[in-house]
Amino acid sequence: MEEAPSLDDLVARDRDHECEGFGRDRVCVRVVGVADLPSRFGRFRIVAFWNNRDAKEHVAIVHGDVLSGSEVLTRLHSECLTGDVVGSLRCDCRDQLEVALQRIASSPPGLVLYLRQEGRGIGLVNKIRAYSLQDAGLDTVEANLALGFRDDERDYAVAAHMIHSLTVRSVRLMTNNPRKVAELTRHGVKVASRVPHVIPPNTFNRFYLETKANRSGHFIDVTGKPHMEEQGEAVVVDEKAS
Amino acid sequence: MHDLIVVGAGIAGLACAQRAVELGLRPLVLDRSRGVGGRCATRRVEGQPVDHGLPFLHGSDVGFLSALDAVPATQLAGWPERVRGRGTPCHPATQSPRDRKLAFAEGVSAFPKHLAGGLEVRTQAPVERLEHGPAVVLEGGDRLAAPLLALALPCEQARALLGTAGDGGPELAAMSRLLDMMGTLPCCTVLAGYPLDVEEPAFDLWYPEDSTTIQVISHDSAKRAAPRFRVLVIQAHARWSRTRMDQPGERWAHELLDEAGRIAGDWVRRPLWSQPHLWRHGRTESAGDLVAPVLLPGGIGLAGELFHAGGGAQAAYLSGRALAERLADGGR
Repeated sequence: MEEAPSLDDLVARDRDHECEGFGRDRVCVRVVGVADLPSRFGRFRIVAFWNNRDAKEHVAIVHGDVLSGSEVLTRLHSECLTGDVVGSLRCDCRDQLEVALQRIASSPPGLVLYLRQEGRGIGLVNKIRAYSLQDAGLDTVEANLALGFRDDERDYAVAAHMIHSLTVRSVRLMTNNPRKVAELTRHGVKVASRVPHVIPPNTFNRFYLETKANRSGHFIDVTGKPHMEEQGEAVVVDEKAS
Repeated sequence: MHDLIVVGAGIAGLACAQRAVELGLRPLVLDRSRGVGGRCATRRVEGQPVDHGLPFLHGSDVGFLSALDAVPATQLAGWPERVRGRGTPCHPATQSPRDRKLAFAEGVSAFPKHLAGGLEVRTQAPVERLEHGPAVVLEGGDRLAAPLLALALPCEQARALLGTAGDGGPELAAMSRLLDMMGTLPCCTVLAGYPLDVEEPAFDLWYPEDSTTIQVISHDSAKRAAPRFRVLVIQAHARWSRTRMDQPGERWAHELLDEAGRIAGDWVRRPLWSQPHLWRHGRTESAGDLVAPVLLPGGIGLAGELFHAGGGAQAAYLSGRALAERLADGGR
């Protein structure tokens, strides 16, 4: 990617961008819109991406000068409507997102890639169907297979291309999942280090603490609902801070 | 005698059996109706083929398309070309430029007939219930057993049959609950024939945008080399069909003809002949397809349009093949 003086210039740079694409599906993205996004977590900019594979509108939430940046604090977040918006306790997505936004706000440059792959890519309808099966006490392999839940096979090619589009030279990746590091590296992203993604305790994640003894087995929170690792990694709560 | 019993000789069931043969199994296919193909159906009216289920085939998968190309029939590549109206198509991908579209001059059933060639198929063999083993018991009492069983049926029928098998443990309970969340849509259909001296309709397929009754009018005789009749196939919206499906076809057929006449011209109201046909499970809902066939304990598998992303005949075909592979692989 050629360098651009500011985020806004990426739109003009990408207008006729075409490359051989990333990953198995040869996905190619373009920056198609940039705007300010003041939020309760900080003064961010938001970058909208188009891609040549599907109608999913991925975005990057950016703080500070990430262009040509090194060791940019980076988080890959997969959309979770129930967690991100409603604050569902069936997953830890909201906490993981909030902590990521707080971290990039306090130590720029940083970015959160918000990837529109709801329910590990199976979509909201099938995720809700899976919840419904769990409500009935069922969590059986075949039904999950039919719904599309399987071992995490998420493709990080889109994320890698987005990071390249932002001309980021290297990232410090906030994750507890070493596979994310390996996958991004495979797609040519230089991962300078892995930053453990640790959640400080608060009123709302009390349930993780209350159930941490149970963590090795099937994860059930205090509401009695099975827990899902929708971000593809185990939640780590900072117990020292409690 | 047989390694696998396939219930349902639609595209999914036939594809499942065909793949099973390739993998060295001996399948038997059962279907309640008189012919194979399910909704991929062609009826002969005074010698002229009429596609009264799906009007054409479309897809983008290389394997599916090469299966279509292997059909020994006159392929009408690109049909329908003259698509009119801005109403909702039966399937979202029908308008996608990525999908290849085609029909056959002999009728779309050339495809299932070709798939069934070389397979052992018993038609007019409705299955009443399942037994552990697995085995199927036909209406009339015949009992057929095989180590493996594939249900390639509309989800309501698969659900009902699973319910006859007794307690199948959590896997079966989960599948039943999942199938309960899905459903098929009915489609009232009228086949209507006209003399050749009526004006040639200037469309292949018409999705009227201003009708709550009719979803699509197919100019069926446009697919025939030397038609004896102009033929239209008129298919109703699911919601409208739901309110009529328990009435005799003669009662709703004239309503459909009247509405088609309002849309396409007065002559449509007065066919030389017409035949109603109710597709009780005509379509699937497009939201939230499942992505894989299912294998339950005891060697029972489920396949069909719903069990593969995208829906349509292509999804049915791919799902059937995928199920055969899983069954042959011992469920891994």
